Amino acid sequence: MKIYSCCGNESITKKYFCPECGSSEFEEREVSNDGTVYSFTKIHIAPAEFAGIAPYYVVLVQLDEANAKVTARMEEEVAIGDKVVLDREEGGAYLYKKVPSAEVVN
Amino acid sequence: MTNAYIHGIGMTKFGTLESSLKELLLEASAEALRDAGRPKIDAVFVGNFMGGSISNQEILGAIVANELGLGYIPSTKVEGACASGGIAFRQGLLGIMSGEYDTVLVAGVEKMKHASTPDVTQAINAAMDTTTNEKNAGLTFPGFFGVLANRYFHETGASKEHLARVALKNRENGVNNPLAQFPKPTSIEEIMNARMITDPLGLFDCSPMTDGAAAVVISRKKSPVHVRASAQVSGPTKMQDAIDLLSIPAIGESGRRAYEKAGVGPEDIDVVEIHDCFSMTEIIATEELGFFNRREGWKAVEEGRTKVDGDKPVNTSGGLLSRGHPIGATGIAQIYQLVRQLRGNAANQVPKLPRLAMAQNLGGTGSYSTVHILERV
Repeated sequence: MKIYSCCGNESITKKYFCPECGSSEFEEREVSNDGTVYSFTKIHIAPAEFAGIAPYYVVLVQLDEANAKVTARMEEEVAIGDKVVLDREEGGAYLYKKVPSAEVVN
Repeated sequence: MTNAYIHGIGMTKFGTLESSLKELLLEASAEALRDAGRPKIDAVFVGNFMGGSISNQEILGAIVANELGLGYIPSTKVEGACASGGIAFRQGLLGIMSGEYDTVLVAGVEKMKHASTPDVTQAINAAMDTTTNEKNAGLTFPGFFGVLANRYFHETGASKEHLARVALKNRENGVNNPLAQFPKPTSIEEIMNARMITDPLGLFDCSPMTDGAAAVVISRKKSPVHVRASAQVSGPTKMQDAIDLLSIPAIGESGRRAYEKAGVGPEDIDVVEIHDCFSMTEIIATEELGFFNRREGWKAVEEGRTKVDGDKPVNTSGGLLSRGHPIGATGIAQIYQLVRQLRGNAANQVPKLPRLAMAQNLGGTGSYSTVHILERV
């Protein structure tokens, strides 16, 4: 995942200007997509365009290699603290999946 | 400090109503004009969010001016998602403070119940940045506050029962408000066992779809209700950009600016209407506005401090959760309830006649927040 940073703030999206210093020069770097579930919800009542796939999980993933988070969708039950990896990108969304517990290295 | 005073208020019943968007808007506006003694109106501001998308009806400002016979005056529709009403009120104030207008009519309206839930949910999602990976992931507004609530539980001692207590308090208040959408009493058990919307938020934790309108007349001429301060800020438009997920900076910053302008602090506020679009939001907002310490708003709920007879009564109207949430009308309905409190004839009148009252109106997932402080003078 590409990370844009300026003045100590890191994000997966690039703004026009840094809200701290006003610069349009953002440092860019590639980091691993791997992360940890910071929080989540299970959406039962969805807008029309997602009603067909409900219920589904929306998770806020804390990336392991950046001080940034990414909002993603998951299709399996999750809990805060679960290790997750990017499964695929689909329709402009990030779909994450859990790392099988045997593979989690602490 | 502003030089504006509230002269009249009007509000329709909130709920599932036969009246059209236009009829609701005119009914509340006419009532506010009568309450103010039919003054000459110099401008109209209307807060509305989905008249275009759900009712195929815009030009609401001109409709008010024409149908109420207000003459060739300027009129404006204001959109700021669920803060449309609060922002419209502020625009009216700014018009008076600039010297351009003496007396202004501000109304808010929404008509939602004629459309299906998926269609309304879709229309409400326009209040998100719809070009992002978040929207594409299927995030919704209740979804955002569900994510926030699960993290809040993780970091504090709070649980779903604290959310239920907020919902119960606001329902108890709504039951006594003849204009509220939900007149039926409920119980903690019913709230806890209700169907899930977005885990952990159940049906009673989420504000409903509502038809309704509210209106106020404000003027530079004096009245017993002074608008002591008005503040508005914008905040993050994406969940993943929140520096602290358990903080909604737009609420905190609009509150700080309002306190500064009014020269008062949270301890001076006698009665509050907060934007409880979800039970979780009320708890976070009471922290952001400085009524309780961060991460401790849930304890105040447990101690009953936000009830009508508590030391910081919150949402005596029933709030969005039980009074109802006709999106564009909500910010004005908050003002309506607070004026009634300051006049001493509110539903759920607080025991001691209040002097200072605060309304906080939120749009998006913290994209907009307005705070107004009213004073009985």
